Amino acid sequence: MIETYLDQLARELDFDRALSRRVRLEVEDHLWEAAATNRSGDSFEAQRRAVANFGDARAVAAEFAVVSLARASRRAGIAALVVIAGVFMAMKARVAWYAALQWAIGDDMRALGSVVILIDRYAFLSSLIIALGGWIYIHSRRIPSAFDPAYRRQLGRFFLLCAVAAAALVVSVISDAVLTALQLRGAGLSPEFVLPILSMAIEIAGVRVLVLRIRSVALRAASTAALTRR
Amino acid sequence: MLKGHLDMIVLAALAAAGSAHGYAIIEEIRRRSGGAFDLPEGTIYPALHRLEQAGLLSSRWTIADSGRRRRVYSLTKAGTRALAERHAVWKQFSDAIAGLLAGSRPRETPA
Repeated sequence: MIETYLDQLARELDFDRALSRRVRLEVEDHLWEAAATNRSGDSFEAQRRAVANFGDARAVAAEFAVVSLARASRRAGIAALVVIAGVFMAMKARVAWYAALQWAIGDDMRALGSVVILIDRYAFLSSLIIALGGWIYIHSRRIPSAFDPAYRRQLGRFFLLCAVAAAALVVSVISDAVLTALQLRGAGLSPEFVLPILSMAIEIAGVRVLVLRIRSVALRAASTAALTRR
Repeated sequence: MLKGHLDMIVLAALAAAGSAHGYAIIEEIRRRSGGAFDLPEGTIYPALHRLEQAGLLSSRWTIADSGRRRRVYSLTKAGTRALAERHAVWKQFSDAIAGLLAGSRPRETPA
């Protein structure tokens, strides 16, 4: 009976494998200890009581899911800032490389380059400020005990901030790609291209990581909502 | 109402018990409340995880006498501070209610 209960609890928390494993081990220890203290002498009855006293597996899983969601959203806030810092370093490394090689955008494209640089700068600054705001917002809130309307609203605000920060970062990285293309335009392939291309690859990978993190929070929120609804 | 104070109850039980695993914490709550706080046992574990995530508890795996893996929790410094703060707020609230009740007497209903 205890094993069946543990299987159900672990299955309900399958969207967070690490949590599911930990909860299973913790609850297993609890239930067997509770069953051992039962004096009825009937093993089946002892297990049944231990499980009944622990509560409905779905309801318990729903409470764990809220904690998991809070952890995932806080990590997404940190991930956003780390990715933005990574994009910034890649950007700076590329600019330093151009300066060292004395590369400049051709005169015919200079006007377009200036506009793209402006877009890049404001998009990047916007993503940094919004992501910082999102991180401060989610870290200053208490971890809730239930997926109640107040927490849903809080999560919705955080999700919106993350999505806007990610969108601004995408604009910044696209601007970087345009600037890199303008910079390298007309030049033949050479080993000096490695750093600009590598730095662009880092920026694109960073954006992908951020988008996946935000998606993971959204999926976890959906799983938590489903557990709460049932 | 009890659920609203669950965090304080868990922190207080851990402060009294020192390091303890979930089952021992539940037993401590039951014992110290004279059986008045007989919570559904499954509600304690999400609370322990939440308090750990908030930095108020720390935890580590140990091996129980039964050979099973056991998660043992302890209060952190932040947890001790949080408990002291909640204790002060609770005392203020309870003194205020006691003061109110001292000046009143339940009205007897006519037979």
